[in-house]
Amino acid sequence: MTQVEMKCPLSREDTADVLLDYSAGRLDKARASLLARHMETCDACAAFGVQQAALWSALDEWEPEPVSMDFNRRMWQKIDLLDAAPWHRRLADSLRLGSWKPGFALVAAVVLVATAFVMDHSGAVAVSPSVSITEPGVSITEVDQVEKTLDDVQLLKQFDSTVTETAASKTAM
Amino acid sequence: MLPRVNTSMGASPAPDLDAQLMLRVRDGDEDSFRVLLDKHRNPLVHFLYRMVQEQPVSEELAQEVFLRIYRSRASYEPTARFTTWMFRIATHLALNWLRDEKNERATERLDEVRGGDLPARELPDRKPSVEQRMVYQARLQEIRDAIATLPAKQRAAVLMHKYQEMEYAQIASALECSESAIKSLLFRAYETLRARLAHMVVRGAQ
Repeated sequence: MTQVEMKCPLSREDTADVLLDYSAGRLDKARASLLARHMETCDACAAFGVQQAALWSALDEWEPEPVSMDFNRRMWQKIDLLDAAPWHRRLADSLRLGSWKPGFALVAAVVLVATAFVMDHSGAVAVSPSVSITEPGVSITEVDQVEKTLDDVQLLKQFDSTVTETAASKTAM
Repeated sequence: MLPRVNTSMGASPAPDLDAQLMLRVRDGDEDSFRVLLDKHRNPLVHFLYRMVQEQPVSEELAQEVFLRIYRSRASYEPTARFTTWMFRIATHLALNWLRDEKNERATERLDEVRGGDLPARELPDRKPSVEQRMVYQARLQEIRDAIATLPAKQRAAVLMHKYQEMEYAQIASALECSESAIKSLLFRAYETLRARLAHMVVRGAQ
């Protein structure tokens, strides 16, 4: 039977977990013996395993502080206060607890719609005074067109009079 | 070195009893919350203590975690393991606290620590001499400093992996990143710790 060989776990960062688990004694039996065989021929893995196990032991020395005896009493006091709080406070708390991302998107959407509405509305207000100075039923565009037409007529009259004067002088000659 | 083997690996995963308790809390059973509090109080405070390295702060943060769990009981759905959810909240709070306190407190805290303001912890049964106690405190301080100087996310990952014995998938879920990213993160974190605590590691390995 051919023996299965393990690819060196140190070849990539995310495969070195095997060595970490081995040093922590969390590796299953089959993989542990496979790795042990690999470590017999791989100095890097062997050194890693030894040093990691030593680090593991050193970290064990750090014991946490004991938890205060009145931890639960203080906890239940806070819970009682929470339960006794008025409904709007509880609602505010629950809103504060939830993720802000969907809420923020909702607020942004509401602000966008409101802005669009206000802009649309203010546009109508801005146009109305201009309309009010004209006769009812006559638009600004129509007034402009009439003015332009009058200008054109005046130009034509000037041109016409110039042509008439020229023709008269030619006849007199 | 003899390989340390966990023979319990490969067993069928146990149902999440904590999630079942939490579902009862959702239905108004306060006693189930009491059970969860008693069960997870110490691991949670210890994790937060190692994160922020200040006992009163760690207890306050732990209470905030439990309060948040209690507040959101009505909308609780067991989509992840209860402990994963709990440690996600705890990590979030601890990272926020570390971020907020980073500039103001870091120097002050280090000064206090270097000034020997640590609570004196008795080593049980051994009745150590003054010299032994000083050596122990110095070693402990080195370990604390080495962990404190890790980037916050690496620190959280190491504490969950080493002291809470959480699986990679759980740590990944708590820190909201991929399992592969967590493995790389832990590899780098332990590499840094081995370098910073090299004298202990070499001595321990001999």
